[in-house]
Amino acid sequence: MENKLSREEVLHVARLARIQISDEKTLEKYQYQLKKLLDEIDKIKEVKNYDEDFLIAPVDHEAKPTKDETQEEITFQDVKKNAPHTKGNFIEVPVMIHE
Amino acid sequence: MDYKTTVGIEIHCELKTNTKMFSHGTNGYGNTANSNITAIDLGYPGTLPILNRGAILLALRAALVLNCEINQQMYFDRKNYFYPDLPKGYQITQARTPIGIHGYVEIEVDGKPKKIGIHDIHIEEDTAKSAHSATSSLLDFNRAGVPLIEIVTEPDMNSPYEAMAYVEKLRELLLYADISDCKMEEGSMRCDVNVSVSKTEKLGTRTEIKNIGSISAIGLAIEKEVEHQIVVYEQGGTIQEETRRFDEKAQKTILMRVKETGNDYRYFPEPDIPMLVLTNEEIESVKKEIPVLPNERRKKYHEKGVSEINSNKLIQNRDLSDFLLTAPEELNLVLASNILLGDTLAYLNKNRKKITNTKLSMKKLTDVVKRLEEGSLTSKILKEIFNDLLETDLSIDEVIKNHGITQVNDTDSLNQVVKKVLLENQASVDDYHAGKERALKYLMGQIMKETKGGANPVLVNKLLIEELTK
Repeated sequence: MENKLSREEVLHVARLARIQISDEKTLEKYQYQLKKLLDEIDKIKEVKNYDEDFLIAPVDHEAKPTKDETQEEITFQDVKKNAPHTKGNFIEVPVMIHE
Repeated sequence: MDYKTTVGIEIHCELKTNTKMFSHGTNGYGNTANSNITAIDLGYPGTLPILNRGAILLALRAALVLNCEINQQMYFDRKNYFYPDLPKGYQITQARTPIGIHGYVEIEVDGKPKKIGIHDIHIEEDTAKSAHSATSSLLDFNRAGVPLIEIVTEPDMNSPYEAMAYVEKLRELLLYADISDCKMEEGSMRCDVNVSVSKTEKLGTRTEIKNIGSISAIGLAIEKEVEHQIVVYEQGGTIQEETRRFDEKAQKTILMRVKETGNDYRYFPEPDIPMLVLTNEEIESVKKEIPVLPNERRKKYHEKGVSEINSNKLIQNRDLSDFLLTAPEELNLVLASNILLGDTLAYLNKNRKKITNTKLSMKKLTDVVKRLEEGSLTSKILKEIFNDLLETDLSIDEVIKNHGITQVNDTDSLNQVVKKVLLENQASVDDYHAGKERALKYLMGQIMKETKGGANPVLVNKLLIEELTK
């Protein structure tokens, strides 16, 4: 088995993460690193008596939905402290390229 | 062979809850930007989602209204994508265990019922709302986390008309069941349409048209997209899976992007929300809370002889239709709906009121209808006194009196009118003697007309029968 991902696979993942890869050397490094990560995750398949339900909800209690009531709202003043840029009551971000 | 059109529709509807799906932030359309937010909505580190019981029950109600099988054991999934309107980096949705599956909505095509299959209905959260300028994008997180249901049909529609009929029917159902306010113009109902054409039984490659702004635009967008695809095929080209949008001004669909595929979203179970279980008791109690739905109302109107036009108008005017739910069984719905959809609706529209904010009680309406039936009230007088019936607590008799319409109680002068009317309406007299009860009402009406509505109906009735049986 190949010990690295293809260039296209790495570029695809980068596109999904909206990451631009600066040069060929970095790209090649990611080809190996990502493959190593995936191999690690694939080890799950080796577990015997694989119980999918357990992976879905590793706790055995059921969800306890709560009342449809407003609580714990925060003000925009609080939010501003964590937002690098704001405009009026909005959080401002670099222009989004596509919808 | 002609091309066969196939359409499937995905609709997102915001649920009419007080708060958001996974937080206690207010669900408030139109409030000041970023005033209804919690740390959860902003995806701050260390926060965990809660589950809004109100939203789950509304989604369950929707699944029941759409005739779905209910998934009584559900979990949520993360749909991962990177975008500023989604600060967590994923949307919480239901990919593998949607709350409802295998449902249907019935529409009418060429006078025959057709079932449009519902593949599934699932719960998810809305994203923040963004506005774009040339230099930056502005985000309002009030919408982030608002509860949504996504309703996905089977590819069961074969024309723009069927698609529009489906959306209209679905909208009507969700409105009547109080699930969503379904305002396409405010984005609380959003519609994506999948369209393909094919000359064979095998479905063609589909394109998706996103965020169509109105029901009529859905019809137009499908029509234009079908034309576009046929032109491409006829010129020997191929259609690829892509997302398009409908430009209403240009009257055509325009390419937005080639679709990300399902795998790109890297769905996996949301580990922060335990398994959600719906009990039989919960399902039964939600079933009981569903208001009377349009089809049932239409059936009743039909049975009571209300015209299809009036029947549809009543359904469109929910509060009038609700008002009629309290009608006594014997009420003449034909007359009642004429009054409600005529003078009442005109009054309500003019004064921007709801019927529940007027003084027109069911008792008053029943009384008016009864008098119209008896002939002791004419529609002319009704028109004259109508505003007072809606605006005051006075009884019909009191209102009539206030309008200076005095009751004629003078037996002699009434007798003369009765005789005159009988002479002029020999045909009705004959009908009455032939056993036609309606003739009496007609004659009564003529007498009321003659006395400009002023005659005492009880006395007229007595005199009329006396004269007829002489």
